Amino acid sequence: MKEVDSRGKRCPAPIIDCAAAIASVESGVSILLLSDDPATLPDLLAWARMTNNSAIKISEESFQITKK
Amino acid sequence: MVRVTGNFRKESPLHPKAEAALLAAFDAGWADPRKLSSSSSKAHHMRQEALESIAHQLSLRSDEIEILGEPLLGHYLSIAGLATSPKTKIFYCATSRSEVIATARSFDPVELPVDIRGNLDIAQNSQPGVLALQIANGETGIITATDEVVKLFPDCLIACDATTTPDASLLPSRWDSAIFDSGSWAGPSGIGILAIRNSKVWKNPLPHIGISRVPQSYSLPLLLSSVVALEAWKSDLSEDMRLRDLSAQLRLRIASSVSDCDIAGELDSSLGNISSFSFLYCHGEELLRELSIRGFDLDSGSACTSDDLAPSHVLAAMGILTHGNIRVTIHRGTTSDEIEELGTAIIESVAQMRARN
Repeated sequence: MKEVDSRGKRCPAPIIDCAAAIASVESGVSILLLSDDPATLPDLLAWARMTNNSAIKISEESFQITKK
Repeated sequence: MVRVTGNFRKESPLHPKAEAALLAAFDAGWADPRKLSSSSSKAHHMRQEALESIAHQLSLRSDEIEILGEPLLGHYLSIAGLATSPKTKIFYCATSRSEVIATARSFDPVELPVDIRGNLDIAQNSQPGVLALQIANGETGIITATDEVVKLFPDCLIACDATTTPDASLLPSRWDSAIFDSGSWAGPSGIGILAIRNSKVWKNPLPHIGISRVPQSYSLPLLLSSVVALEAWKSDLSEDMRLRDLSAQLRLRIASSVSDCDIAGELDSSLGNISSFSFLYCHGEELLRELSIRGFDLDSGSACTSDDLAPSHVLAAMGILTHGNIRVTIHRGTTSDEIEELGTAIIESVAQMRARN
């Protein structure tokens, strides 16, 4: 799984990183986003809703995003 | 009518009548109304008239009103005054203001989730306790269907947070305490109104000696000015419908011109003068700065604009995007042309920011 390390970055940078990474993969492929920004979880879930992708929290600082 | 060109923040200048009244009140209302002297007697009389007017304007009884010099303390007094022990369950909405959440956490807190429309997502509750009920949310303007919610908590006492609007018709038919804020009717800051309907249950939760239910440390001149602002506010309710139309105009313009935008709540079930927009891939603080340069001052719930760098708990609880957030409060006197200009500034600023990313 492709890994995107956005640790140390603040919103909206992790979401922008995530969107750029997901744009480069095929439908059904997942990426792993690493982020320690407290806004990432709520914003990732909102981003997934708005862009029709899926996102789940793996741990406090890692999230799996799958392109629909 | 208050002229507030460019100001779309929560705060607004004093109503001109309230400003004039404030200066006069400092001349006439300087004495302590509790002491024995002719000036104190005059101050006492002015205070009583003020209480009567507030009671009338807010559909309350004058004997259930207490005045606070620190409105935020009112949240604690309103809720904790109804709690019978440290183990009392305090039910609160996930989108409640932080003072309410902090108070709940000093007892046995129970957070109530909301859906993406900001409505409480709950079932019937048979547990006793205190329900901290917000009448309308200050960040999104979303109004709570108070009577429907209260029916779900038949064994709870009800502490209402009415600090976002002086519209007493939004209170539920059953409630035990309520807190209002002078700032919500363009009165001076530093004046809160605590209404204690259930005086048999409510007890002063602060350390105290004597029979006073709350600290009497408010400014009488500010109270007198606040009363004038409230009377002016209530005398021009038709303005509220116009502000609602302006909000609809702005929401439609933004929604039809900007992609990937979250608008919190439906206008039909919100206060007519508050709108919250979140723009994907935009930086909230930079957006505020850009709009300020263009002459428009707004608020934001984005993490980068808060003191503790935490995202808005209100937007997060609803599942609304927290970054790139701006909050527009439309004050009385704002024109349709100003809303058009604001809309243009927002659209251009968002496009400019996204192009840079």
